[in-house]
Amino acid sequence: MTTAGSADLDPDRIEERAVNRVDLSIPAKPELLFLARMTAAAVASRAEFGYDQIEDLRLALDELCLTILEGRTGGRMNLQFNWTEDAMEVTATVGDNDSHGPRGQDRLVATPKPNELSERILDALVDEHGFDYQNGTSSSWLRVRRVDETD
Amino acid sequence: MSSEGNFGVSDSVQSGVPVLLVTGEVDVSTAPELRERLVAVAEKGDRVVVVDLTNVSFVDSTALGVLVSGVKRFRNVGGDLRLVVTQPHISKVLEITGLTDVFAIYSTSAEAVGA
Repeated sequence: MTTAGSADLDPDRIEERAVNRVDLSIPAKPELLFLARMTAAAVASRAEFGYDQIEDLRLALDELCLTILEGRTGGRMNLQFNWTEDAMEVTATVGDNDSHGPRGQDRLVATPKPNELSERILDALVDEHGFDYQNGTSSSWLRVRRVDETD
Repeated sequence: MSSEGNFGVSDSVQSGVPVLLVTGEVDVSTAPELRERLVAVAEKGDRVVVVDLTNVSFVDSTALGVLVSGVKRFRNVGGDLRLVVTQPHISKVLEITGLTDVFAIYSTSAEAVGA
């Protein structure tokens, strides 16, 4: 699922233009989601996002992670934050064959699927977002443009 | 520091109405405790409960799911679950999910209790 995009948010362009990148790898446990939210807030602040957008990003990231954690036990979740002067992209991935995680402990117990409330929240808070599940790996991503909150 | 570290639910009774004062971040790891507290109120036989979110700094879809389940439970017995919301970012989440039409929302617990 993807919402309308723009040239500024083209994934290749963001990757190419990214002058900053942060990676976070944490156990794929719900009780550690606060670490992902804290990192999102810190990165967004560093990228000079305004207060409202930082709060939006914290929530959007939480929903992004919830989507791929649904139905999983064990393993690790890897997040990558890329940002430029005017946009940010976050990718979250959790898979069955994560080399960082203890072997045999990461098991998908149900097919992941975004819930309706998560979808509504993501639709409202970010410019684009998506979800994918292939070969035991769930991934989700979002892109958001920085807005001038003084407008 | 953790989300569990600043999450909490304290209860009181105002004019005969149970009030749950929630603090901190309500997410997938803390929402189950809020659910348990709501179930406990319902099982005591109270038909109306006030959930005061004044001191809540974060809610996600899991928290909203718990509140939606709660309001259904209380309305099924002719009661209600009333919310106290003062934080703009909590109001925003309720608005973008369309839940402002579902909940009775007040700006103080006294208002909610007296409604």
